[in-house]
Amino acid sequence: MKGLLLKDWYMMKSYCRSYLLIVTAFLAVSFMDDSNLFFAFYPCILCSMIPITLHSYDERSHWLQYSASLPCSRAQIVSAKYLIGLATSLVMFIVTGIAQVVRMRVSDAMEPGELIALMAVLLLLALLMPAITFPVIFKWGVEKGRIVYYVVIGVICAGGVIIAQLVDTDVEVSLPAGIAVPAICAAVVGLYAFSWYLSIVFFKNREL
Amino acid sequence: MNALEIKNLTKRYPGFTLDNLNLILPSGCIMGLVGENGAGKSTTIKLILNMIRKDGGSITILGQDSQEGAILTKEDVGVVLDEVGLPECLTVRQVGKIMANTFKQWDSAEYERLAGRFSLPWDKAFKDFSRGMKMKLGIAVAMSHGARLLILDEATSGLDPVVRDEVVDMFSEFTRDEGHSILISSHIVSDLEKLCDYIAFLHKGKLMLCEEKDRLLDEYGMVHAPAERLNELSEDAVLYKKESRYGAEALVLRSQVPKDMPISPVSIEELFILMVKEA
Repeated sequence: MKGLLLKDWYMMKSYCRSYLLIVTAFLAVSFMDDSNLFFAFYPCILCSMIPITLHSYDERSHWLQYSASLPCSRAQIVSAKYLIGLATSLVMFIVTGIAQVVRMRVSDAMEPGELIALMAVLLLLALLMPAITFPVIFKWGVEKGRIVYYVVIGVICAGGVIIAQLVDTDVEVSLPAGIAVPAICAAVVGLYAFSWYLSIVFFKNREL
Repeated sequence: MNALEIKNLTKRYPGFTLDNLNLILPSGCIMGLVGENGAGKSTTIKLILNMIRKDGGSITILGQDSQEGAILTKEDVGVVLDEVGLPECLTVRQVGKIMANTFKQWDSAEYERLAGRFSLPWDKAFKDFSRGMKMKLGIAVAMSHGARLLILDEATSGLDPVVRDEVVDMFSEFTRDEGHSILISSHIVSDLEKLCDYIAFLHKGKLMLCEEKDRLLDEYGMVHAPAERLNELSEDAVLYKKESRYGAEALVLRSQVPKDMPISPVSIEELFILMVKEA
């Protein structure tokens, strides 16, 4: 397992260096334009894709077949990717959180409620995509996983538009923050855990 | 103890079946898997490594069922696949560190020695290696963690003749230890002829024969003679016959041929090609 994580770390250093630049640029813009949260959220979405990107490189280099000859189980191979996903998301979650706190302090608009809601959305963005995409990838490979990824993006965007329209028409869609935030966090963490389990089952049965 | 025992191994694909394969590789020996493209060599190796599910039969590696003791067994098995399978961005140094954290018995000194012997640049990325260098790195990894069984799928392909010869010598050295064994598949039958104690011929998913190499060479021979002379031989003696206007040649069982008829040795490659043609 340690070897698998180390391999992914080396691959991240090699393939994801440009992400650092993009993340810095987006966080900087989010500082200057606090009316648009896209710039604050995008780094999290980007980093949630890192394990998927690594898996794609694994497939291309025939690593999956080779790893079958190593003394590690298929569950460990799957778990390494989920752990990398958690680690990168956690780092981005903390960095974005700190950036948002600093932004609110600088603009003298510190609102703990808003910050907590923001962090809940960040958690959702960081874990939702890999949670949905990974089982598909571990069952059918990266190509099909990519299709699912874009479908999910489409569904999220469409959902966003629908919610925005509902808000415009003054339909009450919000839950009290005290319930909604923990509910979102628990749901997304639960989904991630279930996805992890599902991927292990799928990958154990996959022919390499 | 046998290094590898395969009993009634079956795998079905649409249009191809690996059919009731039976093989035994004794410890301390080298077995060569020979077969044309699509004969079932890689399927056999994938089944041994649990990459694909078998439809029937059993595989025992170093005394353990290949599925039940998979992780423990793989500590003792070194593998080189046709596509080596290491990530493109990794350097030789990084591969060494990864494997040190993967295999319990990883021998860094041996890895460094082999990398040096193969002239592998320590900090060059795998993607910048030639196919031969990639193979060499795969071989260095496979031989640096105290493996007792090497499974090599086309491991000598892509190597130039000089290095191939060196690698073949290394494999021979490896099996000087009676507890060490090798299963190797290759298209380059001359390498297998030089290296192997046992040869297994696969053809269209079936095992045509599995025999000690020396016994095969003792048992079979080629007769070059006029067609009329060859026709005198019994049907049991001739496995394959080819006639042309310059004469005729036949693959024969030496024991069935009259003593006055000159028999020339047959190479494993010739034997395989002629048997496949006859099949």
